[in-house]
Amino acid sequence: MTGRRRLLAGAAAALVALGGALAWWMLPPRAMDFAGDGAVALADYRGPSPVGVPAELAGASLVARGKYLTEAADCEACHTATGGTPYAGGRAFITPFGTLYAPNITADVETGIGAWSDADFLRALHKGIARNGQRLYPAFPYESYTLIADEDVKAIRAYLFSLPPRHAPSPPNRMKFPFDQRWLMGFWSLFYNSDRRFAPLPERSPQWNRGAYLVEALGHCGDCHTPRNLAQALDNRRKFAGGVVDGWRAYNITQDRTAGLGDWTDAQIADYLRRGHTVGRGSAGGPMAEAIDLSLSKLSPGDIDAMVAYLRAIPPVRDRRQAAVKTAPAADSHRTMATAAPLGAALGKQMFEGACVSCHGWSGQSLITPDATLVGARSVNDAAAANVALAVLSGVQRPAPSLSMPAFARAYSDAEIAAVSNYVTARFGAKASSLTAKDVAKLRAQSAP
Amino acid sequence: MMTIKVNGEIKHADVTADTPLLWVLRDVLGLTGTKFGCGVAQCGVCTVHVAGKPVRSCVLPIGAVGQREVVTIEAIGEQPNGAKIQKAWLDLEVIQCGYCQSGQIMAATALLNQTPVPDDSDIDAAMAGNLCRCGTYVRVRQAIKHAAAEV
Repeated sequence: MTGRRRLLAGAAAALVALGGALAWWMLPPRAMDFAGDGAVALADYRGPSPVGVPAELAGASLVARGKYLTEAADCEACHTATGGTPYAGGRAFITPFGTLYAPNITADVETGIGAWSDADFLRALHKGIARNGQRLYPAFPYESYTLIADEDVKAIRAYLFSLPPRHAPSPPNRMKFPFDQRWLMGFWSLFYNSDRRFAPLPERSPQWNRGAYLVEALGHCGDCHTPRNLAQALDNRRKFAGGVVDGWRAYNITQDRTAGLGDWTDAQIADYLRRGHTVGRGSAGGPMAEAIDLSLSKLSPGDIDAMVAYLRAIPPVRDRRQAAVKTAPAADSHRTMATAAPLGAALGKQMFEGACVSCHGWSGQSLITPDATLVGARSVNDAAAANVALAVLSGVQRPAPSLSMPAFARAYSDAEIAAVSNYVTARFGAKASSLTAKDVAKLRAQSAP
Repeated sequence: MMTIKVNGEIKHADVTADTPLLWVLRDVLGLTGTKFGCGVAQCGVCTVHVAGKPVRSCVLPIGAVGQREVVTIEAIGEQPNGAKIQKAWLDLEVIQCGYCQSGQIMAATALLNQTPVPDDSDIDAAMAGNLCRCGTYVRVRQAIKHAAAEV
C-alpha cells in the first residue's frame, strides 16, 4: 500500500509542479513590469505630464486634442471596413475562435455609440465592458487602453462625437462555443486587464515616460508585436519579440541586435515610424503600413522621438531562427546568386525578371525609389517569407508621394507566388525560404478582404 | 518648377515633384515617342534610360530623377548601340503594331550596353518585363543577336 501511496503523492507533487508551471506561463507580467518598481500615480508625478497631447497642441480645442489622441490610439484601423466610412465599423477579424466584426463607433444612437456617456466610454476603454453591460472581446485592446488617462479618453469620445453619425449596423459576430459566451471574458479581464491607469517612473526621463504612454497606452504596439499565450494574453516575458497579424509577421522590436532593433540608430527607427521606410532597412507593408498611414505619421516629431527613447529600453529577446539581416546588395547580374538555388528557382527567376526586376532591380537596389529597395529589409531576411508572399499577393498601398506596389493575387497562382518569394529571399536575404503553394494558399485566404 | 536633362538638353517643367517622368515627357515636353501602357511598371512600354539604366518612366517621380540624364526613344539612335538595335529592328522587321516597340528598343539597347554579346538567358532577364501583345518576341530575340553580331 505504501507503494501506491508514494505513487499518489508523487503524482500529486507532479500535478502541483505542472500546475505551478502552467500558472507561471499563463500569468505573464504586465506591459511595463520590465522597467522595475518605483512607478507613481500620475497625480504624484512631478515632471512634465506624460499624458495628453504634445506641447504644440496644448492650447487646442477638446475636439482637436481628441483627434490627435484618437489617431495616436489608431482607432480607425480596426473600426473601419475596407473602403468604408472611417469609424463606422464592420471590419472582420478572423480568429481561431470565430469571426468578429468591429463595431460602429460613430455617434449614431442606434448602431453606434451616440447614446454613450463619458462614464460608459471610460468603462469600455478601461474595463472592456460595453454600455449595455456586455463584455467586449480582447481583440479590442482594452488591456492597453486601460492605461489611458481619463481626460484623454474623454477627449477621444469628444472627437468621435464631433464626426457625422453614420447609421451602420455591424454584422453579428460568429464565434464558436464557448467563445460566444461573452461573460467568460470577465475571467480573462480578471487575469489580464490590470484596470490601472498609466503610472510614470520618476527615475526615468520625461521623454521616456511620454514614450511609454504612447507605446503602451495609446499605440498598443504589444498587441501585434508581443507573442500571446494560450489564453491569447500578451506574453510580456517575451515582450515585443514578435507576433502574427492577418498572416503578416510583426517583427521583433526588442533591443536584440540580430533579431530586433538593437543595431538601428535612433534616426532610423524614427524614420520608419514616421514614413514607413528607412533607407537600407526596408519598408512597412500590410498592417504596419496601415498603422503608419493612419496613426504614426500623424504624431508630432517630439512624440516619435519619445517612442524611440522608450523602445531603446525594451530588453533584448533573442531569436535563434532569425539570422542577421544581410546588408550587402545582390549581384547586378541575373546570373549570379550568392545562395544555393531555392525551391522552384527557375520559375521564381522567370517571375522575378518579368514582374519584379523593373522596380526592385537585380541587385535589390531600386532604380525607381529607395522605398522599393529590398536590400537590408527584414522581410526578405525572414526565412518564413510570409511578408514577402503577402506583399506580392496584396501589394503595398501607400499614399502619395510614396509609391505603391500593385497586388498580384489575381495575376499569379499560389505556386508562382511561392516560387518568386523563395527566389527573392534567396537572392536578397540571409537564408532562402521554402514556401510551398499550400503555404501561399493559406496566406492568400488571410489576405482576402 | 522641376529641371531635368533630357536627350542632352536641360528642360524645365512646371509640375509637382511626384509627377511621373512619363507625364512630363509626353504632356509637357511633347516627347510622345515613349508610350503609356499599364501605369504600374508591369508592361515596359514606357521604358527610358536614366543614367544609362532602363527605367519605367510611368512610376518614376520626376523629383527622383535629380541630376541623372534621361534618354528617350527620340535620341537613342544617336548612341552606337541604339543605332545598331534600330537597324536590326528594320533589317528583321521586328515591329508589328509598334506600340510596345519604343520600350523594347530602349530595353534592348540597355542590354547591349551592359552585355555586348547576350545569350538567351541574358535576353530573358533583360526583356521579360517588356510585353508585346502582337507576340514579336521571336523576332526581338533574333534582332538583339543580329545587332550584337554586327560589331
